[in-house]
Amino acid sequence: MTTPLLSVRGLCVDYATSDRLVRAAHEVSFDIGPGEVLGLAGESGSGKSTVAFAVARLHRPPAFVTGGTVMLDGTDVLALEGEDLRRWRWRHLSVVLQSAMNALNPLLTVEAQFRDLFEAHGITNRTEIADRSAELVRMVGISPDRLRDHPHRFSGGMRQRLVIAMALALSPKLVIMDEPTTALDVVVQREILEEVAELRRRLGFSVLFITHDLALMSQFCDRVGIMLNGQLVETAAPSDMIAAPRHPYTAKLWASLPRLDADPLPLSKEAAP
Amino acid sequence: MRSFLTALRGNPKAAVGAVIVAIFLAVALLAPVLAPAGPNQRVARPHEAPSAEHVMGSTRMGRDVLSQTIHGTRTSLAVGLAAGALVTVLGVAVGITAGYFGGRVDEGLSLLTNIVLVIPNLPLMLVLAAFIGQAGPLVIAGIIGFTSWGWGARVVRAQTLSLRERDFVRAAELLGEPAWRVIGSELLPNLVSLVGLNFIGSVLYAVITEATLEFLGLGDPLIVSWGTMLYHAQATSALQVGAWWEMAAPCLALILFGSGLSLMNFALDEVANPRLRTLKVPPALLAAVRARGAGREAA
Amino acid sequence: MAFLLRRIGFYVAAFLVAATFNFLVPRLMPGDPVDVMFAQAGTALPPESLEALKATFGLMDEPLPVQYLRYLGSVFTWDLGLSVKFHPLSVNEVLWRALPWTLFLVLTASALAFAAGTLAGIHAAWRRGGRFDSVGAPAAVMLQAVPPLVVSLVALYLFGIALKWLPTGYAWAPLLDPGWTPEFLGSVAAHAVLPVVTLALTQLGGYVVTMRNSMINLLGEDYIVLGTAKGLDDRRLRMAYAARNAMLPTVTSFAMTLGAVFGGALITEVVFNYPGLGYTLYQGITARDYPLIQGQLLVMTLAMLTANLAADLVCLALDPRLRRA
Repeated sequence: MTTPLLSVRGLCVDYATSDRLVRAAHEVSFDIGPGEVLGLAGESGSGKSTVAFAVARLHRPPAFVTGGTVMLDGTDVLALEGEDLRRWRWRHLSVVLQSAMNALNPLLTVEAQFRDLFEAHGITNRTEIADRSAELVRMVGISPDRLRDHPHRFSGGMRQRLVIAMALALSPKLVIMDEPTTALDVVVQREILEEVAELRRRLGFSVLFITHDLALMSQFCDRVGIMLNGQLVETAAPSDMIAAPRHPYTAKLWASLPRLDADPLPLSKEAAP
Repeated sequence: MRSFLTALRGNPKAAVGAVIVAIFLAVALLAPVLAPAGPNQRVARPHEAPSAEHVMGSTRMGRDVLSQTIHGTRTSLAVGLAAGALVTVLGVAVGITAGYFGGRVDEGLSLLTNIVLVIPNLPLMLVLAAFIGQAGPLVIAGIIGFTSWGWGARVVRAQTLSLRERDFVRAAELLGEPAWRVIGSELLPNLVSLVGLNFIGSVLYAVITEATLEFLGLGDPLIVSWGTMLYHAQATSALQVGAWWEMAAPCLALILFGSGLSLMNFALDEVANPRLRTLKVPPALLAAVRARGAGREAA
Repeated sequence: MAFLLRRIGFYVAAFLVAATFNFLVPRLMPGDPVDVMFAQAGTALPPESLEALKATFGLMDEPLPVQYLRYLGSVFTWDLGLSVKFHPLSVNEVLWRALPWTLFLVLTASALAFAAGTLAGIHAAWRRGGRFDSVGAPAAVMLQAVPPLVVSLVALYLFGIALKWLPTGYAWAPLLDPGWTPEFLGSVAAHAVLPVVTLALTQLGGYVVTMRNSMINLLGEDYIVLGTAKGLDDRRLRMAYAARNAMLPTVTSFAMTLGAVFGGALITEVVFNYPGLGYTLYQGITARDYPLIQGQLLVMTLAMLTANLAADLVCLALDPRLRRA
């Protein structure tokens, strides 16, 4: 591909327990191109969230990044510290987490939380903040008069839309979404993903999409990476991967997807009529 | 249960606390052997300062403060343990019943618990103790026990409510196990650390409250305990006269015993709630992390 | 405001229970309740006063339910009877004279402990495992283990008697005349230092631990993680996102520990001869002034319930989730 937006090489993440280091991610390498959606799939504990958090510099002790490089748009992400790190956050890379329930401070109005975000990044003009906040929520289909409400007045789906709106506030190049729709109803899940896809087409940001839902992934992502026990075992476009999986685990994963047209599973030794 | 014990073993705070408490228990048991004199024996001149012969000095009546403190440990600990046990048993009983059976039972018991919690403890106990007159240690234990179970009940109820919805409890019920069995073999084992915390806290509270009630003159002045020692010291104006040792000895005993129980409590709290544990990454591991990181930079 | 109404209903019920307790105790003691209640009063009070007292406490020759209603009537019209020790003052007069001093003590000490303890707790939790936390947290817990009685006695001896830095008793120098003069007010302030600081110390540990634990339980929450990811300034995150949320349980637990605070205040007053409810009560106990002792239970209960109500209001103000459209 052309110059990748995000380039991860040999990323290693360790967790320190009381007596040893446990490797959570081992020599993970992948690229994400500008405007591309890369999915990271795998079962629980495979290390996908660990990788995402490492790229977003969200790990705290006892988790440590112990190896590799992460380059985003020319910046050495792992070398950022202090004020530089704080300023870099959200402008270049933003995050959408799984549970919309708790993603917003329950005690502040949505308006106030947008304001905190803008003020933290040097935008202090009240009118400008108001205008930009209104524009952002309109973009995700929420009326600007609702900005004065507190988070608990919104449904789960609407809250996640607010979180997405916030994620796009500073026009980042890369948005990391960690299981963004898992906690939502199936119909709402679909709607939100379609909205995100539309936004991506319009604004051109890349997405690192973490999920364990393979079916969702194959529809939404340009390419998919499969993680197993902390290692990235295969990366390819979904159609290629389904047609010709290169790693045995990949094959097993795709095969395990329940299909609507398959024969029913036999439930007992004495076969059904 | 096993993981709970291993976690406890690795905790220095718990060890120190347990040692302190064990020492006091030993002193209480061996009091007659350890004390140089009887609790009410006149062995010195009034208000003698601490010396080699009387390590903690003497009271207004010429009694050995050290001996009194040692003998007093027996009474104070006995009341503390008895009252603590009563508070815990009542609290757990009410809490589990309310949490497990739910509905009207829960509403009624919760209302009772909340009322008991909102009425201030000490004034309540003062009314009781004043009417009863010179309350002996057992009566004091009873007074404390029957008025202070509210907190434990509330905490146990909350935990029972959350445990109740768990699969293994539901499974036991579906199998047709009677309520008392479900409570006994499924719920109680999971409440052990909570109940333990509750008990230790209750003993601490009971010892302090006993001393307070006796200091105010509501106890039996003929009994020797840390509280009555303070009462007599106050009555004979020990501090004003400069005989600070008469107050200091029971105070010190209370502080030390309290600290021991408190440390155990703190440690137990950390074990029960892992998030509260301060994860200290061992220096060896930190070095290993740095080494790996250095390798990355070199690459 | 269904929330508030329910709480108020509960408080009325609790008050009723306290009054009922007062009613039952003398009747459950062995012997004639009249003798029990007025053992000391017989010698100190003139016969009419004794009769009036009997009426107030429902100890006339009437069936039990009537006695109960009569007593409840007295309580709800706030007729607490006559004080035996402080005759001819009524219990009301004695208690209301002492109450302001206790309120002053409790409010000042609580404010001090709350401010210092909460800030310390926030700091310890935010820099977990740091030096302040490793020393401060266990120290706070150990401080809680020291009985208010001991803290008061030690403070009295150290600063009052041994070092003679501060006065050892009473609310003002006995020779001064009460009045709004700077001399009097200065004396009041000087005499308040030890009791207030002592009482504050007894509560400090509790605030530190509650706030610290509350914050720690909160630190893994999504909105905190997201807050860091957003590049929010550390101070804003710590205060408006973490601390504000962590404070909610502190407010509720403050209301619940108020009973202990009053208990501590009682002791502090006795040790320092501070003329509040506690000291008055102490004198009442020594003189077996039962009307006074029972009256004080009701006053203390009322104070607790009021404080709880205040805490409910504060919670309503702080937490938008409690308000319903």
